[in-house]
Amino acid sequence: MTREEKHIHSRLTRRHFLGASAAATFAALSGTAPLLAEESPRPTPTADTLILLWMAGGMAQTETFDPKRPTAFEPGMKSDRVLSTFKPIPTKVDGIQISEGLERIASVMDRGALIRSYQAGDLGFILHSRHQYHWHTGYAPPQTVAMPHIGSVIARTLGPRNPDVPAFIDVGQNMEIGGESAGIKAFHTAGFLGSEFGPFLIADPQDAGASVRPLSELGDGRFQRRHQLYKELAAQSPVARYGSDFQKESLLRSIESAHRLLSSPSAKAFDLSLEPKPSFDKYNTGRFGQGCLLARRLTEAGARFIEVTTEYIPFKNWDTHENGHTRALGMKEQIDAPIAQLVLDLEERGLLNRTLIVVASEFGRDMMVEGKPDKKVKDQVTVPAVMTEPKFFGMHRHFTDAGSVLLFGGGVKKGMLWGKTADERPCKTIENPVRIEQLHATIYRAMGIPANLSYVVEKRPVYVTQDGKGTAIPELFT
Amino acid sequence: MLPRKLLLLVYGALWASVANAERPNFVRDIQPILAANCKACHGGDKRSGGFTIREYAEMLHGGRSGASVIPGNAGQSLLLQRITGERGPVMPLGGAPLTSANISLIRSWIDDGARLNPDSEAAKAPWIPKLELTPPAIPLSRLTSSSHSVDRFIARYFETHGGKVPAVVSDAAFARRAYLDAWGLLPSPADLDAFVKSIDPNKRAQLVDRLLDDNRNYAEHWISFWNDLLRNDGGDNYHGGRESITAWLYKALETNEPYNRFVTDLLNPAKRDSPAGFLLGVNWRGDINASQTPTMQAAQNSAQVLLGINLKCNSCHDSFISRWKLKDAYGLAAFFSASPEMELVRCDNPTGQYTDASFLFPELNPGSIPLALDDRRAMVAKLFTDPRNGRTPRTLVNRYWQRLLGRGIVADVDDLDGEPWSPELLDWLASDFVANGHDLKHLLRTIMTSQAYQMPGVHREGTNVKEYVFQGPEFRRITAEEFIDAIGSITGEWQVATEPGKKAGRYSRDWRINSTTLSRALGRPIRDQVFTERDCSATTLQSLELVNGSVLTNLIKQGAQRMRGEWKTPPANIFDSGKLSSGHATIDLDLNGLNELRLIVADAGSYSPERVLPVWANAMLEKNGEWVPVPNGVSMTVPSEKILDVRGYSRFRAVVGVDKKSLQSDISPTVRFFAFSEKPDWEHLVQVGPETPVPASPTGSADVISRIWIQALGRDATPAERKLAIKALAEPGGLADLLWSVFMLPEFQFIN
Repeated sequence: MTREEKHIHSRLTRRHFLGASAAATFAALSGTAPLLAEESPRPTPTADTLILLWMAGGMAQTETFDPKRPTAFEPGMKSDRVLSTFKPIPTKVDGIQISEGLERIASVMDRGALIRSYQAGDLGFILHSRHQYHWHTGYAPPQTVAMPHIGSVIARTLGPRNPDVPAFIDVGQNMEIGGESAGIKAFHTAGFLGSEFGPFLIADPQDAGASVRPLSELGDGRFQRRHQLYKELAAQSPVARYGSDFQKESLLRSIESAHRLLSSPSAKAFDLSLEPKPSFDKYNTGRFGQGCLLARRLTEAGARFIEVTTEYIPFKNWDTHENGHTRALGMKEQIDAPIAQLVLDLEERGLLNRTLIVVASEFGRDMMVEGKPDKKVKDQVTVPAVMTEPKFFGMHRHFTDAGSVLLFGGGVKKGMLWGKTADERPCKTIENPVRIEQLHATIYRAMGIPANLSYVVEKRPVYVTQDGKGTAIPELFT
Repeated sequence: MLPRKLLLLVYGALWASVANAERPNFVRDIQPILAANCKACHGGDKRSGGFTIREYAEMLHGGRSGASVIPGNAGQSLLLQRITGERGPVMPLGGAPLTSANISLIRSWIDDGARLNPDSEAAKAPWIPKLELTPPAIPLSRLTSSSHSVDRFIARYFETHGGKVPAVVSDAAFARRAYLDAWGLLPSPADLDAFVKSIDPNKRAQLVDRLLDDNRNYAEHWISFWNDLLRNDGGDNYHGGRESITAWLYKALETNEPYNRFVTDLLNPAKRDSPAGFLLGVNWRGDINASQTPTMQAAQNSAQVLLGINLKCNSCHDSFISRWKLKDAYGLAAFFSASPEMELVRCDNPTGQYTDASFLFPELNPGSIPLALDDRRAMVAKLFTDPRNGRTPRTLVNRYWQRLLGRGIVADVDDLDGEPWSPELLDWLASDFVANGHDLKHLLRTIMTSQAYQMPGVHREGTNVKEYVFQGPEFRRITAEEFIDAIGSITGEWQVATEPGKKAGRYSRDWRINSTTLSRALGRPIRDQVFTERDCSATTLQSLELVNGSVLTNLIKQGAQRMRGEWKTPPANIFDSGKLSSGHATIDLDLNGLNELRLIVADAGSYSPERVLPVWANAMLEKNGEWVPVPNGVSMTVPSEKILDVRGYSRFRAVVGVDKKSLQSDISPTVRFFAFSEKPDWEHLVQVGPETPVPASPTGSADVISRIWIQALGRDATPAERKLAIKALAEPGGLADLLWSVFMLPEFQFIN
């Protein structure tokens, strides 16, 4: 890809050159007019910040936000009888029940909307990183150009809210995770939008403070001294004396802005050690919980897009291939309190109505069906017809016909339930299916970005939702 | 120059005021006619045949059948031929023909130069790229006496485009360029000094020869350029959906394989050590879109990389932006497909239409296509390297020119349909390259010894090719690999790579190790796609990595230690199991002369190291021929160290591995067992060797400063800089901070 091709054009309004005022616009645009990127007028944003809470590895919907008839474990029971391994519990909203272990989230359900009909892409033999790529970019790999992460699209389109806080912050995901590292790296990128809009990666929220503080190796004194030395040398350098040019200026400027960020008061937002202990403890269920706390602090400081993940590591966290019941219990312990607390804290600070929180996963799970009931794909887990041990008890197969998505704040209708799945296996989506392009269009609409916004790459438009055809779900907005 | 220009201006202004008002022009006369008659199919979103009338430039450019207007020649213009019916199908298709008044208006508009406005200049003739390659005559120019052919083309170019041919850069600046472009390394102070002091008038050409003759350093550098182009990333194989071609590529560069053979190997990997991974592409598990099958990827990649043709759009549907159609992509793909016939799939929907293999330039197509895949691949390799196909050498020389001078002769290196700023120079370079046996080093030598390469750097101006005038090479930023390897050559601190199947590491050039946060921040791409130009823009995220990243901080810290002679080789292990997951290894050590034995378990990538159960089974010590179990056995966690007092014992034996109980999918144990006879350095448990040549310890501050400045910047420090540097060196961590500050200077990071 050449730089020319990467030269991105976006336009707010479409120009009709053959309309009434053609003559006037022709003169202005002939010759150098950039290729048009088709776009509708921008919708009025209902949110300024997006927090994506990523349930990495395929969160079992029937064990979380879409509970079905519960069955307790008994040796000798038939596997295909089991739909949910947890009991349903009531929530703050009449008519919405979720799974036990999520009592805190149940208590804030009246602040949010629940989608139960998310249908993942039909990508064949399941690969988590590929579905995650699809979820995060709207496109299934391989692609002929490097597609940008949704956070990069938002960073590129809307810019930072606060210049001292990176526009796209990604919390909790290590890039080296063994066999699927390549797949994970492939979408944690700004792709063709250019590295400027890439993620600021914080693998461990506890290290976030350190990542925007001078390295302990240097300490603040040496850090400032080194920067001073650099500035003096740069001023002495013949290149600096013989005039400025864009590339060199931008190098000097970028070092300057990194230095400013590292010395800025906003950097304190990254530092969890500054959070009062009682409040820290409310979130502290582990790394994910700390990530939620970090998201709250960064939202207050002016972040644009934050993703916090439970972390994808093959066969770990939500990627339950065995002991599904026990593992789901553990995962719910990790997510329940911090998600609810994040909603309450943002509400208390008056930020929830301008912050959209999205809780999502690459697909759902089921005990029996791999893929979709009518499009089954190659099984990856052996499920015995009759269960002998608890390790077989749980949702171990990857189910792509239904999954749950939670939305809070950011102009989303409160207490809303969207989509429906069947009560009996296969627990298919039977009402209002939502595909990724609609979900993205809905998120983009909240952020004030039209679903058919496009960027020109290699002379052709690439749309933020596939072919620009995503449509927001109007019922989800107030 | 000035008086002539002035005259033209005056003349132009007069002409405009007197005569222009009546001349036919696009805005007033032609656009309304087109809007009224053609808009339904060629306006707004519609681009029938790839042709749109919505913009003047696009309208002139034409559609898939080629340029619509040849300014000054209505008779040869497709636009007129179609509306008169001289060439079918007659336009407007299915509509009433244009009136003869309108037709004659269009005719006279084209004959008058197809102007936009009455005052506009005549439109430029469309650029029509040729396929064949004939060497243009080498021009004479009053601006040069050089016998170098490139210099003659450039001098003639300056004659026509105005301006003086710039003088060449200093010896030191030239050497820095040449070393970086041939080896990817900075010249050592001694080499630089010898070069600058030499009075041999031919020394620049000799230096280029000497650098290019070093096959190893040349291969170690140019492999990154080719890795980007060929999507080769050793570390990541996508569950077998990708195959490394590193071994082949390295050898091809090291032996300077002629480019026609190089291309043939890529397109027809018939031998065991052939680069099959190129045609395989990058494939993810699961179902894929029809336009992204390995066969289609092979067509897209070979066309883009080797021919400068973008088939990405038309792998799905006829392109809206170029002349290429769906069947062109499938025709090329059918050379690589299992079956000799391929069904066209439009936007993932099968069409029921089939195509045989067919080359993008049908004039080269042979009469019949063989059935066997091997034969089809052999045939397509012949077509790509056919002497009548000038596209392949043009694409290659243009890429090399762009790599060495910052901008291609055709600006878009992936679209060789574009207009070169000097068609003669491009064709001469390509012809010369072919005439010299497709020798890549010959091409490099030709460019690097030219005045064009040696001119002072210029700033990148606008990217619009119509405005571009060659003034000299553009400033280039050094690559991630060049940056990191520069630290190695200045300080002796290199990256450590582990070759497959080996336990010990090796100090290496950066390209050999998987990308790090540092190299990615500096623009090393994730090679899932073809990358023909690195993103080398300076961004805040990149600077955060440079200012505060641990990779660079550690490299510089250890580099400073080496420079000061404080680097101590870490204690060597006496046992290394290598990475163990489900397997096991036997340890059997001679303990004679040892006081203690330190057993170590380190994590090597487990998902849950804390849940891994490492086992030292049957741990026994021998004393006087008697084997006794290690008292209390060996029980350890990950990571941990256990110290045994082994005085008086002669041997230690055990079998190491992980307990079956931890072989769970969510633990995925991967550990490494070590033994040491002394206190280890936990950061350096794995053996690395051989030690790199560390530049001799500097004799004092003055020496340190000169060495850094000369190697990093190609010049010694000025007195003012020296003063700052001396002050810095007096502080704790001063050398590391001085190194860092110099590495951040634009003067270091750009090739001037």
